[in-house]
Parts: sequence; C-alpha cells; structure tokens
Amino acid sequence: MAKHYIILWGSVGVAIIVLVLGLIYFGGKSDESSNIISGEPRQVTALDWVRGDITAKVTIIEYSDFQCPACGAYYPVIKRLEEKFGSQIAVGYRHFPLTQIHQSAELAATAAEAAGRQGKFWEMHDLLFENQKTWSTNSDVKEIFIGYAKQLQLNEGQFINDLAAKDLREKISASYKEGVSLGITGTPTFFLNGRKLSAPRTYDEFEKIISEKLNQ
Amino acid sequence: MTRQLKIAAIIFLAVSALGFLDATYLTIEHYRGSIPPCTIKGCEIVLTSEHAKIAGIPVALLGSLYYLTLLILSIAYLDSKKNATIRLASYFTIAGFTASLYFVYLMLFVIKEICQYCLVSATTSTLLFIAGMYLIIKTRHGSDGVKN
Repeated sequence: MAKHYIILWGSVGVAIIVLVLGLIYFGGKSDESSNIISGEPRQVTALDWVRGDITAKVTIIEYSDFQCPACGAYYPVIKRLEEKFGSQIAVGYRHFPLTQIHQSAELAATAAEAAGRQGKFWEMHDLLFENQKTWSTNSDVKEIFIGYAKQLQLNEGQFINDLAAKDLREKISASYKEGVSLGITGTPTFFLNGRKLSAPRTYDEFEKIISEKLNQ
Repeated sequence: MTRQLKIAAIIFLAVSALGFLDATYLTIEHYRGSIPPCTIKGCEIVLTSEHAKIAGIPVALLGSLYYLTLLILSIAYLDSKKNATIRLASYFTIAGFTASLYFVYLMLFVIKEICQYCLVSATTSTLLFIAGMYLIIKTRHGSDGVKN
C-alpha cells in the first residue's frame, strides 16, 4: 500500500516539477521577439536633456515615463552608471508618457520641462523618480509638483505658468510620437549608440555592456 | 465510483492541470522579470496593476496554488475513490469561481484592459465550478466513505 502511494505521488511530483521547469525554460523566450524596433533614434543633440559628455563614445538614450514603476526602478541603476562612467558616457532622457495608464505622467513630464526652463530639469527629474510612489497615487499631484519647485528654489509663478505652457506639452507629445514611430511600446526603452538594448535586468549587466562598448 | 463520476473527476483533473499551467506561467513571468516594463499592451497593464497582488502576493501565485490543490485532490480521488476528497475540491471551486468573477470585473471595469491569460483562468475556474457542482450533487447521497 505504501509503495503504491510512493509511486503515485512520486510521479505526480516529478510531473509537476518537469512542467514548471519546462515553463521556466520555454516561457521567457517570446519576450524578445515581441519587441521589434523599426528604426534608429535621432542622435542626442544639445536640445536634448543630457547628463555626461555629449561627445562621449557611448551614448544612452532612455525613453521614459516618470510615473512608470519600471522607470523608477531603473533610476538608481542609471544614476550609479553615471557615477561610475562620468564623462565617458552621455545619458539622454526623452519623454514617453504612457498617458493611457498613468494619469499624471504627462503633468510630471511637463513639471520636469518647466523646471528645465529654469535650468533644473535634472534636479526635478531626480525628485520625481525619488518620490514616485508619493505623487503617483495622490490626487493633488499639481500641488506636490509645485512643492518640489519650491524645494528647488524655482520661481513659483513662472513654474505654474509653464505647467500649462502649450509649447512644453507639444515638445513632450513630439517626443512621444517619435518614440511611437520607432516602434516603442513600453518604458523604459534604452538605446545604446542608436541600438535598442533588450533591457538589462541588473546594474552589473548594464555596466558590462557599457564597458564592452568603451573598450571596442 | 460510477462511470459518470469518474469522467467528471477526469475532466476536473484535466481542467485543473490546464489552469495550473496557465497560472504558473504567469507566476514565473512575475518573478522572472525583476523589473517588468510599463507598456500599452493589455496584459502587462493587468499584470502590473495594483490589483495583480493581494497583500504582496501575486494573484497568479494564488491561482497556481489553487489549481495545484485541485489537481492533487482529483488525483487522490481517482486513486482512493473517497467521495470526501472530491467534495472538498468541489467546494473549493465555489471560492475559485467567485474570485474569478471578481477578477473579471476588475479587468473589464476597473483596469479596463484584457489579459488573455487571465481569461483562460476565468474559463478554467468556471468549468471547474460547473464540474464541482455536478460532483457535489452526484456524491450527495453516497456515503462519504470508501464505497459509493
């Protein structure tokens, strides 16, 4: 009787393990092919928001959404890469707000642009990512952004005006359209020297890719 | 165990295996991508929404465990022929079906995006509910012991 149970449940257990391992092995392979990119992004220019050296050998362009949790998770990764490589790389930020799923993404992008008008795009960029969880779920998001502007000692009146500025919205929407024409469907999407990276999952992976490029 | 009960239990087994496969795939995907990207395609929206987790546990994992329990119980029933086993599994399907109704409601009216994998799970749990109700009725008069 005991033997019968061992055989039955032993084979059930083995079957389940094989099934799960099979799913682990075959499951993840479809991801890559669904990410077809149809073009190369335009080069980073002085008109873009860039940290690092614009003439560097390695240029990373990030299409990003301030309200996207994945972009928030990559923020410290990129920051560490910037600290490590310094002027050996250039990191450009382009807007790709997923407004259908993130209701404050466009306003957040506008807030960063408005801060940019007063020379503090990156400071606002950092604040937005560092506090993403706080403002993402808040209904009074505009007030929070004005609070950040005060924290960065921006001219409050001008910042509020710029939040409604049509040309800033147009700039963001142009960036979004550019992303769509490249075939981007999600954020963050990284391009390294014009080629799409299939999102490195860890800092180490990312660092290795950059180091290899620098040594080429 | 009558012939009908056996067929019902085999259907039960097959459907819970399918549900297990589906939910486990989603659970693996959940834990594989340490950072799931944000996209405008439906499934990612559903799977990365705040409703995809209950108290930090991914719904897919709960589904996976649910189907695994049913799978084990139906094998145990086919082996031991104890009605109590399949009746227990059948009662579980009420909870599974109710949860599925709630998740379909969330998908259609709250998240407003459709994830095909979640629809597969809703279908399997509905089939299991139907099979479960049939098994409960059919085993009601039999003694809960070894023989029926």
